Amino acid sequence: MQVQVKLFAFFREGRFKEEGRELADNTMVGQVVDDLGIDREEVGVLMINSRHCQFETVLQQNDILAIFPVIGGG
Amino acid sequence: MVEKSELLQFLRGRTENDILSLADQREAASRFNCSLRDIEEIALSHSILPRRYQRNGLDPVRQLLLFHAKVAIIGCGGLGGRVSDLLARMGVGSLFLTDPDTFNETNLNRQNFCTTETLGRYKVEVVAQELKKINPILNVTMTKGRFSEPSVSVADLIVDGLDSIGDRHHLSQLCKKHSRPLIHAAVNKWYGQIGIEQLDTELISQLFPLETQALTAPHVLSPTVALLAAMQAAEVGKLILGQDSPLTAAWLHCDLLNCEYTLF
Repeated sequence: MQVQVKLFAFFREGRFKEEGRELADNTMVGQVVDDLGIDREEVGVLMINSRHCQFETVLQQNDILAIFPVIGGG
Repeated sequence: MVEKSELLQFLRGRTENDILSLADQREAASRFNCSLRDIEEIALSHSILPRRYQRNGLDPVRQLLLFHAKVAIIGCGGLGGRVSDLLARMGVGSLFLTDPDTFNETNLNRQNFCTTETLGRYKVEVVAQELKKINPILNVTMTKGRFSEPSVSVADLIVDGLDSIGDRHHLSQLCKKHSRPLIHAAVNKWYGQIGIEQLDTELISQLFPLETQALTAPHVLSPTVALLAAMQAAEVGKLILGQDSPLTAAWLHCDLLNCEYTLF
């Protein structure tokens, strides 16, 4: 299935802003994060089609997945 | 006890187009044995605007709303220090500052009240002292320590200037318990986020789903912190003045590197 992945803030460094990915059916969000070499501990917001989701959420055909790092400084 | 009608007559005699200078406010305070704060309240209540607020472009009624507002600044570092400065200049009348730390050299890159002369001093002490120089009518209350329930219940609005996720969850819970809007912002490198959490909305738990997540000391550039602090101060002002904001229903992701500002 085809999924569009959007990265935000410093997750773009050395990766991409937006990229289409061909994924196996039933792929979970966490698997995409791991494949991108992103440490799950650094992840803040995860969204599919502008709705909050979790590492365990299963992706569907044509989903748009957005991955944000935790931004926590003050 | 001040003879109010006499004082008011004095103030009216000194106004020019309903504008009152600082020098005349000082003279009135001295002559009628009251504080500059008293003078400001009486002036604003009678449609007289201190000149310092002339360029705000707000009428005395709205300026009086700011004067009566009580805002808690939880964390007085990069965000909190600058928010305090901006609110003091706008004319917010009471600020409650909470921070346990002293200024150190790593704060010099972005914290407006951290200078080579204030290193080693408690942040709340320095901020309070400098704010009073900016606006002497300001009522500043300091807490040299971690925030607790009274830090929240004492104010109308709460500004998040924290830098730890666990603390943000705790602050969010206290704000909900006391029905106080929480004006959240956070920064890292060229990136920031801002949003407002109210009793019936979830923001902190969405932005920080893992409560126990430990942050390594973030890298923060001064323009990022200044921008997000300015946005926080604007949101505080809007809430006090009854202006609607999209940030009560969505949060804004700010990317200064790519000039992308996106509401989610």
